[in-house]
Amino acid sequence: MEKGVHSKIVSWSVLDKETVAKQKKRKTDFQYWGPTPKEARQVAAAKNKSLISKTMSIQQAVEKYVKDGMHIGFGGFVNTRVPTAILWHIIKKGVKDLTLTFTSHSICPEWIAGAMLVYPEHVSIKRVELAWWGYEIIGIAPLLRYLAANEMIEMDDYTNYGIAARFKAGAMGIPFIPVRENGGSDMELVNRGTMIQCPFSGENTYILPACNPDLGIVHVQAADKYGNARIFGPLCTCPEISQAAAHTILSCETIIDNTAIRRYPNLTEIPYLVVDAVCEQKFGSWPGAVYGEYWFDMKQFLNFRSLCEEFHKTGNKDKLKAYYDEYFFGCDTWDDLIAKILSPDQLVDLRKQDGGQPVILS
Amino acid sequence: MVSLADVSPYEMIAFTGSRALEDNTIVFVGTGLPIIAAMHAQLTHAPNVNLIFESGSLASILDQGMPMSVGDTRCFRNAVFAKGLCAVFELTQRGYADYAFIGGAQIDMYGNVCSTYQGGSYLKPKVRFPGSGGAGAMAANCEKTIAIMALEKRRFIKQVDFITSIGFGDGSSDYREKAGVMGKGPYRVITNQALFGFDEETRRMMLLEYLPGKSPEAIQELVDFELLMAPQVREMAIPTEHDLMLLRTKCDPEGFFLGRKIVEQ
Repeated sequence: MEKGVHSKIVSWSVLDKETVAKQKKRKTDFQYWGPTPKEARQVAAAKNKSLISKTMSIQQAVEKYVKDGMHIGFGGFVNTRVPTAILWHIIKKGVKDLTLTFTSHSICPEWIAGAMLVYPEHVSIKRVELAWWGYEIIGIAPLLRYLAANEMIEMDDYTNYGIAARFKAGAMGIPFIPVRENGGSDMELVNRGTMIQCPFSGENTYILPACNPDLGIVHVQAADKYGNARIFGPLCTCPEISQAAAHTILSCETIIDNTAIRRYPNLTEIPYLVVDAVCEQKFGSWPGAVYGEYWFDMKQFLNFRSLCEEFHKTGNKDKLKAYYDEYFFGCDTWDDLIAKILSPDQLVDLRKQDGGQPVILS
Repeated sequence: MVSLADVSPYEMIAFTGSRALEDNTIVFVGTGLPIIAAMHAQLTHAPNVNLIFESGSLASILDQGMPMSVGDTRCFRNAVFAKGLCAVFELTQRGYADYAFIGGAQIDMYGNVCSTYQGGSYLKPKVRFPGSGGAGAMAANCEKTIAIMALEKRRFIKQVDFITSIGFGDGSSDYREKAGVMGKGPYRVITNQALFGFDEETRRMMLLEYLPGKSPEAIQELVDFELLMAPQVREMAIPTEHDLMLLRTKCDPEGFFLGRKIVEQ
């Protein structure tokens, strides 16, 4: 809701009036892009809260929970613990008019974008709430550049903390969260947060709407069959997304025993209550890295990105289409894909490059 | 004696970044040159500098080499605290991060930085950049912001296309207060040819140091707005042989960042 409170950006910004008016309308006509906090609560309240096994294949989980028009939140961060195996199955199944929310990501949004460009009747993105979309040192994301320049997706820009805080608000069951950022930058004019006067201090304070996706997709090192999950290395925003989302599909490198979970309950970063499917999947973040398991497969990032770059430069989709035909639609399972691309020696090498970060599975 | 010809532009940036850091502080770093600058500082004048990586680690020890990504395994090696984005950005918002290192495509005289798009409009950008990432939050709430940029006239401009990371806004004394952000704002801008600070009174960018062999006039030529000149504007310090040895063998032994030829956005 626009309350007429704002920083001095309104007189300093060089954004054109048309853009500012259009973006302002998104604030005044605000709607959650996905479940409202109340709707997300109703889904939670109706769930079976007992300790029941939720193990299933990723394919089964995707069949059950993925629907056209839904809002998906990505766990992981850039190239780390990215939920690629789940996403791969989502792309194979096909889903249209997606809303995506993520902090900073690389191959996940590029994979969906590529599928949308070569098979638009099968996969499409409607809008994205994000902080950052690129490959870090590998380079910019060519498909983001293409989609943005051709107005093919609606975008809503935040910072990494902004998105994280929005997931956190979603996880807390509250409708919005105040943050000490966005104000004074052009983000104040274009994103769907808004400036208010703090009712206690009287200071200008920026608030962001909670984000409760329909579906959270998260990959972790270990979980028990009920969904109690351990994460080592960066938590990214995985605990917040899992708790904010109406439903969460959790893939893990290893399913561990519930007695192990109960031995060190402090190590549980995601409680079983907020998880709807537990899918054991080795190399479930490939070509991303998983702390304690394996390192990035830089060659694969470079290969896919080069196909996207070529399409961006020439407009020729042939090679990109061939990639999807061979590596998405030409494989039945994630294990098939991994076996097709990587030799056992290469898998050993990716594990070795992790450097043996300590994780506790017992 | 090291001659300037022996020092690559990136080594100059990393070394100058290191000099900007005080000991006993927390540096919120991104991938690449900021890490190298902070590591060099740790190895020389600021052994008690510790790092925050935005994916959620505090005071890690980079004994496995240069991280390739701010979220990668190496950023968490031997950390004292390993959580997620919320934890470290909340520490920052609370006041526990002294320096932000950010990059961008454009910067103006008040230190506002654009990393969202260039040309066209927000809704139909000619060139869309990756977006804020952590930079907007870091520039808002780290105590001091250090920007690393290539010194080019198309980048140092009167007004940026889009303010992604807040500086001093329009330069008015209460701009940041009205914006609701907590950090003090822009502190240094580091380029391979010059080091800039900001005038306390006007909050405008001020030339502090320039590359030996250049002149303040030559630096002004590369900037589209009028620079203020520090009362004692001087030549930049050049790394010693020991500094270069540390940069090349300890900080970035693979030459991943220091060995690059061209400046990326």
